[in-house]
Amino acid sequence: MLNVSVFCIFASYLVAFCFELTRLRGQSLVARIVSLGFASAGLLAHTIYLLARSSEEHLPPLLSSSHDWLLVLAWLLMVLYLVLTIVDRQLAIGLVSLPLIIGLVATSWLLPDTASRGWDPLRSWAMLHASSLVLGTAAVLIGFVLSLLFLWQNGRLKQGAVAKRGLSLPSLEQLARLNLWSLSAAVPLLSFGIISGIVLTYWTSESVWNDPVVLGGTIGWAAMCALLIWQLSQTRTPGRKVAIATAWSCGLLLFAYVGLQVLASAAGMDSVHGRKPTDPKEGAPSALLKAVPTGEVVE
Amino acid sequence: MNLHVVSCNHQSASLAIRERLAFSSAEEIQRAYQEFHDRFPSSEVVFLSTCNRVEVYAANTEDDPAVVRQDLATFLSNFHQVPVEEFVGELTEHTGPEAVRHLFEVVSSLDSMVLGEPQIVAQVKEAYRKAEENGSCGALTHALFQGAIRTSNRVRTETRLSNGRVSIASVAVGEFGKSIFDTFSDKLVVVIGAGEMAEETLRYLADEGVKQVVVVNRSRERAERLASTYSGEVADWRELDDWIGRADVIVSTTGAEEPVVTFQRFDQARSRQARYKPVFVIDLGAPRDFDAKIASMDDVYLYDIDSLQKTCERNRQLRQAEVSKANTIVEEETQRFMSEFYSRAGGAIVKRLRDDWHSISQQELQRLFSKLPHLPADDREAIERTVARIVNKLLHPPLEALRDESRDGAPSGLLEALARLFRLR
Repeated sequence: MLNVSVFCIFASYLVAFCFELTRLRGQSLVARIVSLGFASAGLLAHTIYLLARSSEEHLPPLLSSSHDWLLVLAWLLMVLYLVLTIVDRQLAIGLVSLPLIIGLVATSWLLPDTASRGWDPLRSWAMLHASSLVLGTAAVLIGFVLSLLFLWQNGRLKQGAVAKRGLSLPSLEQLARLNLWSLSAAVPLLSFGIISGIVLTYWTSESVWNDPVVLGGTIGWAAMCALLIWQLSQTRTPGRKVAIATAWSCGLLLFAYVGLQVLASAAGMDSVHGRKPTDPKEGAPSALLKAVPTGEVVE
Repeated sequence: MNLHVVSCNHQSASLAIRERLAFSSAEEIQRAYQEFHDRFPSSEVVFLSTCNRVEVYAANTEDDPAVVRQDLATFLSNFHQVPVEEFVGELTEHTGPEAVRHLFEVVSSLDSMVLGEPQIVAQVKEAYRKAEENGSCGALTHALFQGAIRTSNRVRTETRLSNGRVSIASVAVGEFGKSIFDTFSDKLVVVIGAGEMAEETLRYLADEGVKQVVVVNRSRERAERLASTYSGEVADWRELDDWIGRADVIVSTTGAEEPVVTFQRFDQARSRQARYKPVFVIDLGAPRDFDAKIASMDDVYLYDIDSLQKTCERNRQLRQAEVSKANTIVEEETQRFMSEFYSRAGGAIVKRLRDDWHSISQQELQRLFSKLPHLPADDREAIERTVARIVNKLLHPPLEALRDESRDGAPSGLLEALARLFRLR
């Protein structure tokens, strides 16, 4: 039943995106209403699905599995997209953000959905780790979308083309400012997520530095930090180059957090975030089951 | 229908005449309404006066003598102290349904100098408001101007007649400038040259909130005149490079034979700045003041007069393509207005007919109930309802025929027939 629900979410967002594409051929009120209707229906299904998962696993979706974590990320972005689209009907952000959201929902299929029971004794830290990372990754995705919108708007202005009706974009100045804000939010959130992850591994005494997801994520995080420092220190860099650099960095981090989880899961590699347990009871990494901060042995 | 409009507009009259016949102040308009009422006490009137037209809409009931073209021309002549012979040939007149159609076209901006310009709606609403304030509106003018506002709303929402900007300065600022900058209030605008185009562009930029303006011109006198209009300052021509380096927006209209700003000069001027920032260059010079190669630089958004003119032309064509749709709406609304007007004209006869028949049915019911006093109240009500339904059903075909006839004009033949057949007085 849950698989059907994920398909419903995916299909609703896909139909919403198809109707969003009609903006390219001119504005149509009917298409806008249908697109918003399917997006809202998809979000409702998405919310119900996450709540059902949470009550089934007796865990918040952020902690239960990589599959749920990714769906929470997609849910956050979808809420933001709907709010912005309802506030400004002319804004064409759906053309860029909906494919990303659909991609996240589709990717969630490829990740294990078995809950990691071993997190229970360390729930507070694990929750802090997962929520910091999900919010940081959402900020990264927003930065990615803003960079693409900047490049789109810049290209249009350079060509001297008039914006089509219903395809309005924020000004370059606004996009650059929001981009800097999203980076400024992403870096501390991701840093906190990584630090809390290190604390978790310290308590569980497991070495995770050979884990491809952890390694890739840390490299992506370092790239984001470098980008933020570069952005803040640069006074003579064209906005287009900043947007390209941001898009690449965000893309790298996304690949590290999402792509590597899929690859690790598909290849059956040993990863804290992407492993598919053979036994349902063996949901969590074995090392996590060794000890809790108080020294109490869980199993 | 006693509705007349005389119009002196940009198509029929010269600017010199329009200026002399215009009602330029609120006091003048008020005096015009006063004098019109003194002269034609039973008439409704609305004066519409804009920079492109002076129009007088006058309406009377069928019983009153109509105020015609000659009366309105004489009124305008007396009021403005302009001999009739000087402008009577430049007046156009519309009466009845043509007058309705004319107002609907005017308010939809189909009759404007710039097709689809949005100001006319506000101007018509203002004229109607002032007429109301001066007690000059009656049933016909109220219905007429409310119909006009409804028509303009339909044209605006159902067509794209007002879409896209059609002047070079508005295209530059509205279509491009606002996509580069979030706000203009903190931007430095440098104007090179002090021509008319620069002034028009500055007007649009000022509307967007520009506060810092620097005019650089070889002739200091002209520069000072332009700068003072926008609370700006004047800079010496020798400081041009420095201002180019600091500017967020550059408007150039020098009319020089060769580009004033070469690629190298621009690059050097911009590289002196401490912090990188985008610059929006509006080159309105012909030939161009800025080397075209400058457009290839990152964060430089350069638009010359040719590219802006192309956008204007494209927008004009898009508006032109919407004219037939707008005309259809005007036609539909004119038909609707006339149909409602004629229906109202026959309203008295219809009411009398309905009242008579219901009165007869009530009399017969009373007679019946007095013969059958034992009837319970429920049965009486049921009988009353049935009889009322019969009367309404009998009334329906003639009223429907009357409504159908109203679509093509005043149903005076049918009304006459109804009055004679049913002895309605």
